[in-house]
Amino acid sequence: MIRAWRFIVDHYLLLPVGGGVALVWANTYAVSYFRIVQTLAFPINDIGMAFVLAYLAQELVEAALPGGSLHPFRRALLPIVAGIGGTVGAALVYLGYLQTGDEQILAPGWPIASTADLVVAVATSRAIFGRSPVVTEGLLIALTSEVIGLAAISRHRFITDVHPFAVVLIGVAAGMAMIFRRLGVTTTWLYVGGAGTVSWLGCYWAGIQPVLALLPIVPFLRHAPRELMSFADDAPSHRSPTHFESSFEIPVQLVVLLFAFVNFGIGLRGFGTGTWAVMAASLIGRPLGIVAAIAVAQLVGQGLPVHMDWKIAAVTALAAAPTLTFGVLIAVSVFPVGPLLVETKLGAVGTIVGVPAALGAARLLRVGRFESDTSSGGFRTVGPESATEPTFR
Amino acid sequence: MRRARLAIATAALAAAVLAALGRVALAAELTVPNRPGSLKFAALGDNGTGEQPEYDVANQMALWHGQFVFDMVIMLGDNLYGRQKSEDFVRKFERPFKPLLDAGVKFYACLGNHDKPSNDTYKPFNMGGERYYSFARSNARFFVLDTNFLDPPQLEWLERSLQDAREPWKVAYFHHPLYSDGRRHGSDVELRVKLEPLFVKYSVDVVFSGHDHIYERIVPQKGISYFVSGAGGELREGDLKRSAMTAAGFDGDRSFMLNEIDGDDLYFQVVSRAGETVDHGVIHRSPKS
Repeated sequence: MIRAWRFIVDHYLLLPVGGGVALVWANTYAVSYFRIVQTLAFPINDIGMAFVLAYLAQELVEAALPGGSLHPFRRALLPIVAGIGGTVGAALVYLGYLQTGDEQILAPGWPIASTADLVVAVATSRAIFGRSPVVTEGLLIALTSEVIGLAAISRHRFITDVHPFAVVLIGVAAGMAMIFRRLGVTTTWLYVGGAGTVSWLGCYWAGIQPVLALLPIVPFLRHAPRELMSFADDAPSHRSPTHFESSFEIPVQLVVLLFAFVNFGIGLRGFGTGTWAVMAASLIGRPLGIVAAIAVAQLVGQGLPVHMDWKIAAVTALAAAPTLTFGVLIAVSVFPVGPLLVETKLGAVGTIVGVPAALGAARLLRVGRFESDTSSGGFRTVGPESATEPTFR
Repeated sequence: MRRARLAIATAALAAAVLAALGRVALAAELTVPNRPGSLKFAALGDNGTGEQPEYDVANQMALWHGQFVFDMVIMLGDNLYGRQKSEDFVRKFERPFKPLLDAGVKFYACLGNHDKPSNDTYKPFNMGGERYYSFARSNARFFVLDTNFLDPPQLEWLERSLQDAREPWKVAYFHHPLYSDGRRHGSDVELRVKLEPLFVKYSVDVVFSGHDHIYERIVPQKGISYFVSGAGGELREGDLKRSAMTAAGFDGDRSFMLNEIDGDDLYFQVVSRAGETVDHGVIHRSPKS
């Protein structure tokens, strides 16, 4: 039972469950679905998702600690450059696609296409490369694009009264968390319920996207080094009830389920220019941008890691193409309820076709599990499995 | 030379006779009462192609304006397709509608998904630089919405404006239909869930939309009459999939609407590009206490 739950958590399987239910409901009994969703949208999208982002940020902070899989920072440099390239590539294709038509009204949606779905990117990379260090690089590429996407939506567009001075509350919240840490407070709920609430109010009133509210608190939570995206990490430091990840595991999964339920119910007739723009940008623009950025990095002397060649780089770029969940999250932050939101959400969901495309490319190029040399059990795991020092060519 | 003059004179006479006959025929076909002092307006959507069918519709509107002197046109979005530079405003709007513009007819536009957001500053659209706005004429108030971007501030504005409206008739118009049997787009249920409760609460009488390139009159929903009139230039022939909520429809050619509010009645007449009346009727509003 516990193993099954871990599998569900590891693979965010509640997401497709919620999404599937929503998609069927919205296309059969649309009125009842949208009535329910209308009341759930705010608590899930603007409050609940703050916990999910904090959860991912906590992992990122821990992975960056000495002993974590992202330490030292130097090994992250090339993937970050590639991630920036992917974001730029996606944005250019998105905006370029819009130039071919007359729906410039969709232009603010470029961050939707520019962000990658971390979970899908890692799952696809793992399916191709197993436990090769390539997976961590793919994850960093996706992560970089997500950070840029979140920065792009940091302005909350849908409120009437903005009080810029409320930004002070975010600083107060971070100060509260710091004091809790100094006082040795171990209860995660105090950090989140106390400092987190103050930060959320500060964001909301200041016109900053409130899903980002817990990010200033995360650095002050209790941490333990870890491997990124390995939720099955049962080390006592991660299983302790004073650890954020442990306390919020179930609430976060519940939010993920509800997020999919609230946002994935899209009328299938709602496709339009925004759908194709998001899909073209994510599935073509981002992989091209990633590969181009790696090429530029090579030109300026940043070599490929020893476990990576151009074929692997191309497949890694394709695995980072789907924008799916994060695309939907960004979409609901960029567009209010209406046809533009529907079009772009459909595009984000449609980028799931990037998964079979990446698998197909891996097979075609014979990389990872499809490599003809099966001496390493089908996987080409060059170098140490969790290398802490990169080796460059 | 004399023969040529004679031919020209004969042709001119024939044209005059035909025009007069046409006028007579039009007058006979006018189903709206055309009473003096009533509020008369036309409605069309999805017109801005700059192609011949749009010109035909505009010519037909000008022809009918000769008999039924409406002093304004409500534009239901997609007022311009494709490139939207200054010369496009001429080709896709000013030139086809020149006779109406010259006659002092005012156009009040809402934004469709193909319209550039900055078109709200284009003077002849009378939007006053606002993507959503309201205006009153005679005994009616019109609420013009931007359904591309139905954000909470717009909804708050709408509720306040509906609350403050003192005119007996409340007419809302915007691009995306809350109810439609168009195969391509159909009803926008998400927008409906947001807007309909406000329309019901504040007794909106009539709603006009475009987006689906057909004409459809919907069976009144919760006491509100809905029209889809999105074939002012674009047309999706055969796109209407009639259902129980279809009161009338036309998807065989381009069309526009003539409307007249007289007391507690709104008369409507839907005219095709060829000048045929494809639907007509009257909506009676029950005065609310």
